[in-house]
Amino acid sequence: MTQHDPAVLSAALAAAESALNQAIALAPHSHQELNTLSGTLLGVEITSLDLTLYIELLTGTELRLMSHCEREPNAFVRGTLEDFGALATSDDPAATLINSGIELHGSSTSLITLQQVISRMEIDWEAPLVDVLGDVMGHQIAQGLRRFFRWGDGARASLKRQVSEYILEEGRLTPPKAELEHFYDAVQSVAIRVERAQSRVEKLLARAATRGTTQ
Amino acid sequence: MNDEATGRADHDEDTTDFGFTRVDRDAKAGMVRGVFDSVASRYDLMNDLMSGGIHRLWKRFTIELSAARPGQTILDIAGGTGDLAAKFSRLVGPEGQVILADINAAMLEVGRDRLIDKGATGNIEVVQADAQALPFADNSVDCITIAFGLRNVTDKDMALRSMLRVLRPGGRLLILEFSKPTSPLLGKVYDQYSFQILPAMGRLIAQDAESYRYLAESIRKHPDQDTLLEMMEDAGFAECRYHNMTGGIVAVHQGFKP
Repeated sequence: MTQHDPAVLSAALAAAESALNQAIALAPHSHQELNTLSGTLLGVEITSLDLTLYIELLTGTELRLMSHCEREPNAFVRGTLEDFGALATSDDPAATLINSGIELHGSSTSLITLQQVISRMEIDWEAPLVDVLGDVMGHQIAQGLRRFFRWGDGARASLKRQVSEYILEEGRLTPPKAELEHFYDAVQSVAIRVERAQSRVEKLLARAATRGTTQ
Repeated sequence: MNDEATGRADHDEDTTDFGFTRVDRDAKAGMVRGVFDSVASRYDLMNDLMSGGIHRLWKRFTIELSAARPGQTILDIAGGTGDLAAKFSRLVGPEGQVILADINAAMLEVGRDRLIDKGATGNIEVVQADAQALPFADNSVDCITIAFGLRNVTDKDMALRSMLRVLRPGGRLLILEFSKPTSPLLGKVYDQYSFQILPAMGRLIAQDAESYRYLAESIRKHPDQDTLLEMMEDAGFAECRYHNMTGGIVAVHQGFKP
């Protein structure tokens, strides 16, 4: 149990739950995939916020967020907010799960499947806009939003690439990946050779000591 | 006579609290009924306005604590307008059962209509019942909730014993009720709100300032967190604990039948 006021936590969870359920409702392609996870309970402990919450997938169209749950979760993950951010945005969640500081208890399958469903989720903004604004205006605004999000995705990818290029090529702030790997290999090779030399020295010392005692 | 510091009643006398007034023990139920008859039709609207909608969050946490699961039987005492019952109905599913109980017929009528409107009817039974003498079999219920109802019960100890009898061994009782703010500053602000703003809102919206003045007074006369915990233990509940919410303005007490 966390030290947070349960009412404050309930408010945050109620808002998040409502937003997530609305997003799911607007992503009909995800319903079938989410339905395969029906009944799944995930526990999440965010250590940096001293917060534990549970995500229960009730059906393909509805999930429930809780701050208290007595059922054994299918998977329980513990980590910092940064760790979960990295997992949520990762292209390879399995690798991120293994390499990050996230601690996992239970089955990772449901967790990875959920992450993949969320990352593939395509929210159709047009339906609610058309309901409120009518066919013509709703469609125009939805098209504008789609263009904006596409531009945002492209801009983000481009920025990531350019920042990476600047750090590597222009600023020479970090070495290229291949150079770094070569350096790690060389260090490992030196370490192995030093270990061999050390064992040889130890052998020679042992032999010298035996000769000293026999003379 | 009441212990002013804790709100625990002394049962040697024939009178009891009705807000800040002493009335005959036998008369209290009828007077409480009068209050709720008066506010029934606008009860939920007033609750939303009075609490700024926070009562829904308090109830949400109570539902989480219930750990209700499919197939269980849940008794919601003083369930009034049925908001908890509607949520429980979904959680226990068609194989479970929810009993919505209230001593007040007007509140039950509003609750039943609301449940029908929501389509939550298949597994809900509506029963007019007194919390002090629950008309249910021994060991027949998995979980009992009473939200903002215990303070209106004349003999709270008797009600707690009645609830213990009805619960199955291992079953839990959850009492959601106004309590004592943990910070003196918050307590002062809360007093001003309760005795100045609340009756004014009651007058404006429900055209009934007196009923809302009673609600505020009855909150002050209700046992504080530790006293209610002690009462639950005295009634025979085990593993009793409570969670303060919104600075102790409300607390949810939990206890299990051994």
